[in-house]
Amino acid sequence: MTDTTYHLPPQISFSQKLKNSLFATPFDFFLTLICAALFALLLYWFIDWAFISSIWRAEDEPLCKEASGACWSVIDARHRIIFFGLFPFEEHWRSTVACVVMIATIVASCVPWFWTAIRLSALWLIGFSIFYILMHGGVFGLSVITPERWGGLALTIFIFAAVSIIGMPLSIVLALGRRSKLPVIAKLFGLFIDFFRSLPLLTILFTAAVITPFVLPGWLQGDKLYRVIFGFALFFAAYQAENIRAGLQAIPLGQDEAGLTLGLKYWHRVSRIQLPQAFRNSLPSIVNQFVITFKETSIVTIVGFFEILASGSAAFGTGKWTVHYIEVYVFIGAIYFIFVFSLSRYGAYLERKLRVGHV
Amino acid sequence: MSETVDNQGVQAVTMTNVNKWFDDFHVLKDINLQVADGEKVVVCGPSGSGKSTLIRCICKLEDHQKGTINVLGTELNDKVANIDEIRREVGMVFQQFNLFPHMTVLENCTLALTLVRKKSRKEAEAIAMQFLEKVRIPEQSVKYPGELSGGQQQRVAIARSLCMNPKILLFDEPTSALDPEMISEVLDVMVTLAEEGMTMVCVTHEMGFARRVADRVIFMDEGEIVEQNTPQEFFDNPTNERTQLFLSQILQH
Repeated sequence: MTDTTYHLPPQISFSQKLKNSLFATPFDFFLTLICAALFALLLYWFIDWAFISSIWRAEDEPLCKEASGACWSVIDARHRIIFFGLFPFEEHWRSTVACVVMIATIVASCVPWFWTAIRLSALWLIGFSIFYILMHGGVFGLSVITPERWGGLALTIFIFAAVSIIGMPLSIVLALGRRSKLPVIAKLFGLFIDFFRSLPLLTILFTAAVITPFVLPGWLQGDKLYRVIFGFALFFAAYQAENIRAGLQAIPLGQDEAGLTLGLKYWHRVSRIQLPQAFRNSLPSIVNQFVITFKETSIVTIVGFFEILASGSAAFGTGKWTVHYIEVYVFIGAIYFIFVFSLSRYGAYLERKLRVGHV
Repeated sequence: MSETVDNQGVQAVTMTNVNKWFDDFHVLKDINLQVADGEKVVVCGPSGSGKSTLIRCICKLEDHQKGTINVLGTELNDKVANIDEIRREVGMVFQQFNLFPHMTVLENCTLALTLVRKKSRKEAEAIAMQFLEKVRIPEQSVKYPGELSGGQQQRVAIARSLCMNPKILLFDEPTSALDPEMISEVLDVMVTLAEEGMTMVCVTHEMGFARRVADRVIFMDEGEIVEQNTPQEFFDNPTNERTQLFLSQILQH
């Protein structure tokens, strides 16, 4: 052991790597230079527009005509509409707290400590209850605010969270059902999944919002918002079920056989052996579906809900603000980016974490 | 825990006129086989001869379509209670190990102890460590299967089966997926088990192992049991010409 020489691979310095990949030939040098210049120019324009030549305060709005940069006055003046929609002005604190609670719930359920059935259900039960009590009111001296008046960021987050929470368990049931050994069950679940996948989301939401009241008895209808969320959840579940099924298909048959010979019951084989591996196998597409769903919440505008994008349109929809739609869209874009980027970073973290011990 | 060899009267496994088809393909033809309690049986034969299917039928990983299988006095049929009862007493070790890749070695061993045997976590871990020591791998208990060599994985798989305290252990080509230098560490464990009196049915081509521990060697070809005998007689005086051909092929090298 003592006089063993270790042969290390030749070390390449960072500058050397940079040189090899960017400046290897005169043509590479030329290309690198052009791209860097273009990028720098774009970055400069954006920073100048957004931060240097921009107007920030609402009362400075008259200066906007002269300024070459962004007019953030519109955000300063109208951010409450963007965040809260038609929610009564003096109750905005309720919507704010509700939003914070819901985001905290989502973040908490990303922490591995909460990943047991009991903790997760307790967390969401509490999170949703607080959100609902704050938004809807009617107890603890809070005035009643019906879902038609909910809006903005709070509504977007609520729809996203509710769709995920209803859709996720449903998607697991659908995926398992489609893999049932009984042909009748497998066919039925397959038909259900394919039916909802073949319909455009718009059609489903429209049906849920407008047509079901004609078909369902009054006591079953519920509020329009809940019907829309349920329809959305079915759509989400149909897609997510196929992602999970792909993950299940990738598990070698021997895994289930090992479970069988150890005497494990169906539910234990599914919950302890199959699903954990299926989730790991199809994590990228599962996270992807959440990202898509977050962005698709904007479609509920069509059936008359003021989620954040619709509230944004309302924000620049009047008087002197109409010219500043770019600023509003950039602002809303940034909000979407924060959520979606966090989601995908979290997905990447999960992939790294779950890779440990993978064969 | 270990069975005594002297109660030869009790049959661990009795297969009577067992037939099985995969669609039109007749994999098992009128199989009659009795394995006594404490007996070690080695099953060999060319690939596709039905030997794996035979032992997979014993723990109902495959259904047989005709004939009867009786395991430790329980009839193996479609009754869930019977299947559960038999799987409780029969352990299986696979060619591909089939360890759960997302669990540590220790978790692989304790899973069924806690869920099926309803042991507390502490008890389960104590039992698991005891068997991991038996297969000489306790120091790997916190690792994941993917971090172990093939031989180590297979020993963990054996420990995992042993945790359930089976009366019969089935081995489906346990060393066929291993690199040559790892075969002996697995066979050593199997020899120890055999010496302790475990009832074993092994599908294997390890003829040295068969000679050393088997009470009986069974040769299968095209879904039939062609010949069975003590290892001594089987290897030195095979009577059937198909057996002779097979032995000449595998012992050539």
